Amino acid sequence: MNKFLILVVEDDPPVRNLIATTLKAHDYRYLTADTGEGAVMEAASHAPDVILLDLGLPDMDGVEVIHRVRDWSNVPIIVISARSEDADKIAALDAGADDYLTKPFSVDELLARLRVTQRRLALMGGDESASVYENGALRIDFAAGCAWLGGEELHLTAIEYKLLCLLARNTGKVLTHKFITQGVWGSSWDNDVASLRVYMATLRKKLEAAPGSPQYIQTHIGIGYRMMKVE
Amino acid sequence: MESGSEHILACLSSSPSNGRIIRTAARMAQVFRGTFTALYVKTSDAGAASQEDKRRLRYNQALAEKLGARIETVYGEDVPFQIAEYARLNGVTKIVLGRSSAGRRRLFGRPPLTEQLLAYAPEVDIHIIPDKSADGPYRPKQAAESGKSAAKNALWSLGILAAATLISLPLHTWGFTDANIIMVYILGVVLTSVVTTHPVYALASSVASVLVFNYLFTVPRFSFAAYGTGYPVTFLIMFLTAYITSTLAMRYKARAGQAALTARRTKMLFDANQALSKARGRDEILDTAAERLVGLLGRNTVIYPLEDGLLQEPMLYPATGEMAYDTDAERPAARRALTEDAPGEGDKGGYLYAPLKVNDRKYGVVGLDVRSEMLDGSERDILSSILAECTLALENERNAREKEAAAVLAESEKLRADLLRTISHDLRTPLTTISGNAANLLANEDKFDPETRRAIYGDIYDDAQWLTELVENLLYATRIEEGRMTLNPSAELLSDIVDEAVAHTRRKTRKGAVRVIHSKELLLVRADARLAVQVIVNLIDNAFKYAGENASVTVTDGQCGGMVEVLVTDDGPGVADSEKERVFEKFFCGQAPVADDRRRLGLGLYLCRAIIQAHGGTIEVRDNQPHGAVFRFTLPLEEVTLHE
Repeated sequence: MNKFLILVVEDDPPVRNLIATTLKAHDYRYLTADTGEGAVMEAASHAPDVILLDLGLPDMDGVEVIHRVRDWSNVPIIVISARSEDADKIAALDAGADDYLTKPFSVDELLARLRVTQRRLALMGGDESASVYENGALRIDFAAGCAWLGGEELHLTAIEYKLLCLLARNTGKVLTHKFITQGVWGSSWDNDVASLRVYMATLRKKLEAAPGSPQYIQTHIGIGYRMMKVE
Repeated sequence: MESGSEHILACLSSSPSNGRIIRTAARMAQVFRGTFTALYVKTSDAGAASQEDKRRLRYNQALAEKLGARIETVYGEDVPFQIAEYARLNGVTKIVLGRSSAGRRRLFGRPPLTEQLLAYAPEVDIHIIPDKSADGPYRPKQAAESGKSAAKNALWSLGILAAATLISLPLHTWGFTDANIIMVYILGVVLTSVVTTHPVYALASSVASVLVFNYLFTVPRFSFAAYGTGYPVTFLIMFLTAYITSTLAMRYKARAGQAALTARRTKMLFDANQALSKARGRDEILDTAAERLVGLLGRNTVIYPLEDGLLQEPMLYPATGEMAYDTDAERPAARRALTEDAPGEGDKGGYLYAPLKVNDRKYGVVGLDVRSEMLDGSERDILSSILAECTLALENERNAREKEAAAVLAESEKLRADLLRTISHDLRTPLTTISGNAANLLANEDKFDPETRRAIYGDIYDDAQWLTELVENLLYATRIEEGRMTLNPSAELLSDIVDEAVAHTRRKTRKGAVRVIHSKELLLVRADARLAVQVIVNLIDNAFKYAGENASVTVTDGQCGGMVEVLVTDDGPGVADSEKERVFEKFFCGQAPVADDRRRLGLGLYLCRAIIQAHGGTIEVRDNQPHGAVFRFTLPLEEVTLHE
């Protein structure tokens, strides 16, 4: 029995049924809500481990739900939205959502997102303030200010190191361009995004065995980047 | 302008019979269901009309208004010309005139109004209403000749008479006959008729010549008596000869002057028309009209364009160098000219404002500097002609714009209808299989062996996937159609875009492989990431559709001048030369021998081209060696300065 409790917020019954059936088939426990108000109530009373949140709710903007939940909880939130609404996704991520799913999504995608979130929660469990970060062959010593890949030290520029740390501290979470550029440069304008892409590319060259199919840093076209948890 | 319907024009005047003309015109308008306009041509001497005439004019105007006429006033000296101009520019089809204004040919001066009107506007029907008023043809009281020109004319007449006498005296002394002296006087009268501006001087001069000749040269000299029995006849013939010759000279002069005036006006209008018809857009038309006015009248000119019923900031056109113009002080006068629909002067009399209007549509107000002197008659003619040409050009421009908008609308309606028809047809097939398969499973799940069930699930999944892709493309297509294709470009890593697209297509179950060759350089591209990914996805899908499921497809990226390029290459049969351009057309599906035809909507490549063009790139198809097709597109390269 999977101990995970998932709150499914979705107003469209067939989609809600689909998600519920999938979760049941994979031994997750779940609750459902079909309005924003209901979602906030359920989240407060049952303290779910993950919230699956549809952005198009009848009573309230999904981003508003995120703001309300984030007032008192750090529960991971995965938003679900239609494909052509990148701006909504970015707004949701900037408001504090952790990940997103695009409609129409496959069942496999849904399960993969849940696993990523599970691993992230496990990681967060103990070493929140740890001075050493370990993920697969990657090891970062925040105190010493250096990083190793499989025992070999990575020679990173200052910006590359900052980027790596930012991604590492948010492993499993999709970080928007705005979030990253603000975290690294303290500002967010268009030229920073161009710079970000170049630094990200050079960082990956040093980090990834095959930059074409990255293991650590995932690209989310039009949205941002994410550090994956590697087994 | 109501095309096809009649537009009837009656001329307002102070004539007592004008009421009949107005009533007739109103009846005609009713019968033809046409529009009815009453036109008043205001000449510069209108102010000098008698109280009686003014009152009758007001009465006639009120009558026309009551009978449903639109009252229009134009300003100018040349009445037939103004009527014809108004008729031409406003699409008037019939003009109603009274017999009195139709008039008989007068001895002096110009041909009657009807003939002049016919000459100016040959395409308009002219209806003449018999004038039954007992008073005979009505003529408004002619304004008295100005004192200045009367004195000048009188001086000329006297001078010429004196000169003729001075020449004749020595001739008489030397014994020349009376005939010679008479000829000298006749010559004098002809000269008088040429240099003076009114026929009365030629007449007076004829009489005076006879008297002077009688007094000075016939026996007994220095008296008005004459002894010779033939003299009365001589005097009569002398008078008639002098008078008729002078009349002919005078008429010729008037004709020549009129012809010159007409030629000048025609040329000016033609030039203005040419210039205005070349002008594109409202501002250029106004500029051109203002330049013409400045050039022809030499006065400072302002134009207030009208937008959404509000007068905009005036545009100033100085005649020479700088021009001082107090917009705040002058604007009320301009607005008054617009609302009262008639020319008017500013409070301080500095500028004369005239509205730019045609039918009920107003386009602005033109102001002319009249501080030095008021416009004279011919200047008013020029002004009203240029204004009329200008409004006509504005009207044409506006009509053209409306027409274009309507055409665009019709075109997009047609596209939408096409799209709907094609889609509803193409959606039906996968929907039929999905619902049929699902119904089968619901009813007979137990009867199928696991193998068969798996196959049915697979079919449902594939069809649903296909629909998903289709809906995605349709969404983009409708956005392009509605002009809502809003790009959201940012700096993207080209290899990220290619990788994302290839990863997307790899999710599909197909046997063929996609190979990716990245450029060694880090290439940044300025593009809407999602749309750029869609282009590559469509190109890869297209390659598999036409080259077969087992094809090998290669995606190559690289730099090409100031652009980046992406090539999608397959090893299928390629695209025939005749179809190379057409593959990017909407709903075009080639002849490639792939069995399942319903999988092709002919939208994929159309969208690719629309997206690439919206980014300022190009897309084309070439042949691959030894066989196959290469689709190549370019996108703008993004230069980056790194932020440390």
